[in-house]
Amino acid sequence: MDKHPSYGVLSQYISKYPQAAGALFQTYNDLKLAQQWTDLEVIEIPGCSRCALRGRRPNAEDLLSVVPCSLSESLSTDWIRTTFQDLGGPPHVYLAINTEDSSIVYYKISPGIVKPPL
Amino acid sequence: MSLIAPSRGGKGSQKSGARRAENNRIYAHPLPLVFLPPTFDSAYSPARLLSLVGLSAARVENPHCEGVFDPATRSVWVTNERDSTILWRRGFFGKGDLSRSEPSWLARQINARKAAGKYMTSEEIREKRRAERRQFKLDRAAAIARAAAEAEAAFAEGREAAPVAIPSGATWKPPSSGDSALPAMPPPEDEDSESEGEIEEEQPLENVEHLQLTLQEAWFLLWNLDCLTVLDPHTNKPMTLSQIWHTFLTAHPIPPLLRADAEQRFDNPFLVHYAAYHHYRALGWVVKGGIKFCVDYLLYKRGPVFHHAEFAVVVIPVYEDPEDQASSPFTLSNADTFSWTWLSTVNRVNSQVQKTLILTYVTIPARSRVSPDLLSSPACLAHFSVREVVLRRFIPARMRD
Repeated sequence: MDKHPSYGVLSQYISKYPQAAGALFQTYNDLKLAQQWTDLEVIEIPGCSRCALRGRRPNAEDLLSVVPCSLSESLSTDWIRTTFQDLGGPPHVYLAINTEDSSIVYYKISPGIVKPPL
Repeated sequence: MSLIAPSRGGKGSQKSGARRAENNRIYAHPLPLVFLPPTFDSAYSPARLLSLVGLSAARVENPHCEGVFDPATRSVWVTNERDSTILWRRGFFGKGDLSRSEPSWLARQINARKAAGKYMTSEEIREKRRAERRQFKLDRAAAIARAAAEAEAAFAEGREAAPVAIPSGATWKPPSSGDSALPAMPPPEDEDSESEGEIEEEQPLENVEHLQLTLQEAWFLLWNLDCLTVLDPHTNKPMTLSQIWHTFLTAHPIPPLLRADAEQRFDNPFLVHYAAYHHYRALGWVVKGGIKFCVDYLLYKRGPVFHHAEFAVVVIPVYEDPEDQASSPFTLSNADTFSWTWLSTVNRVNSQVQKTLILTYVTIPARSRVSPDLLSSPACLAHFSVREVVLRRFIPARMRD
């Protein structure tokens, strides 16, 4: 992993939160290289002992927040509430669930009921 | 079943004959090992004598692929292109970490740089399909709004509302755009992709993608077929079989105080999932991850390239001894009795995509009956048993035959 170009940006977060290192690395690479997100930055959310990512989709204005986690973890609503708090109360948060074969499934989580757009 | 284009009876018939022949040629080998017919040099060559007796003298060609173990992602990375191509094309092992399936990130970047992309990768086809579906939803919402407004106006005037056509998935056609549909990208020959990289003038594109193998896939390849070497990430030296076994058993995250237990327990998640993976691979199925459909594995008859997966597998561990479950440091998912709502949800999700749900029960041997010392070698796998229950929803009113 340390030979990968993204390691330079992520190394301090990987050593600080080793449990969430794999999920952070996979999600960062997916957003930056595959989805081509811009203005990608890493934000620490100490309440959940991991880091979140914030950036923009290509050709879009809104800043979106993504919280990486692994399939083997079990989450609680408290945990989700803490991510909203630590990220400064964004309108919604994307949960990036990482698997060992490098598939990532994104779920959009909002605090409260949201009507579908169409 | 596509809602955008009229369904023509499955994915297979949407490909041209030439494309199918090409796929049959490229994905001809179901496993990385290739059996070559023996060469008969003379009438008395050893190969011919053996074949007279009924024994085969076929030579086995072993590609000897190499991968690196990564502890953070709990997987084996295959970084060199020759090995990742072989492992993907012979058995669909692994997944490109920046792609949907086959490592195609470099090809997509090259496509994006060229002004007129001649071919589309599967990711680009997916984007096009999503854009069409978004447009369909907008059109449908607009039509519904028009119908409602028309009904209001008609009610106010006391007349019949004029009918407004609301597009459905079967009748909607995407608005004809300037560029014609691009053909799907044929799998590139190795030479072509290399020369394209050289033609690139702007910035030499470094391929930062690797093929990622799960621990189960890597263990299957190296234990059963002996065609994979795994390097230690710190020393870059090949690991021995027992070192790899030990590493894979202790890869799953558990609290540090209980770490010694990982190698003494049969309910290690690696073992439980490997039992199911091996069971289906040995029967000839191509087994891939099923996170997109809320299941553990998807079973393909020949491979993702040929047809959609027909079966979705949920691995349900069953403890022979309930004491083991109480004292377990691992919390295996689906080990407790599941609820009807969960089962109905998973079944419904998979019925929507025309997959049959299979519940695979893996029985975990009791530590009281089988000695945990067996865990020091793969011999312990013989004590796991795998049983299947196939699930289909039955609707009495509709299914009369």
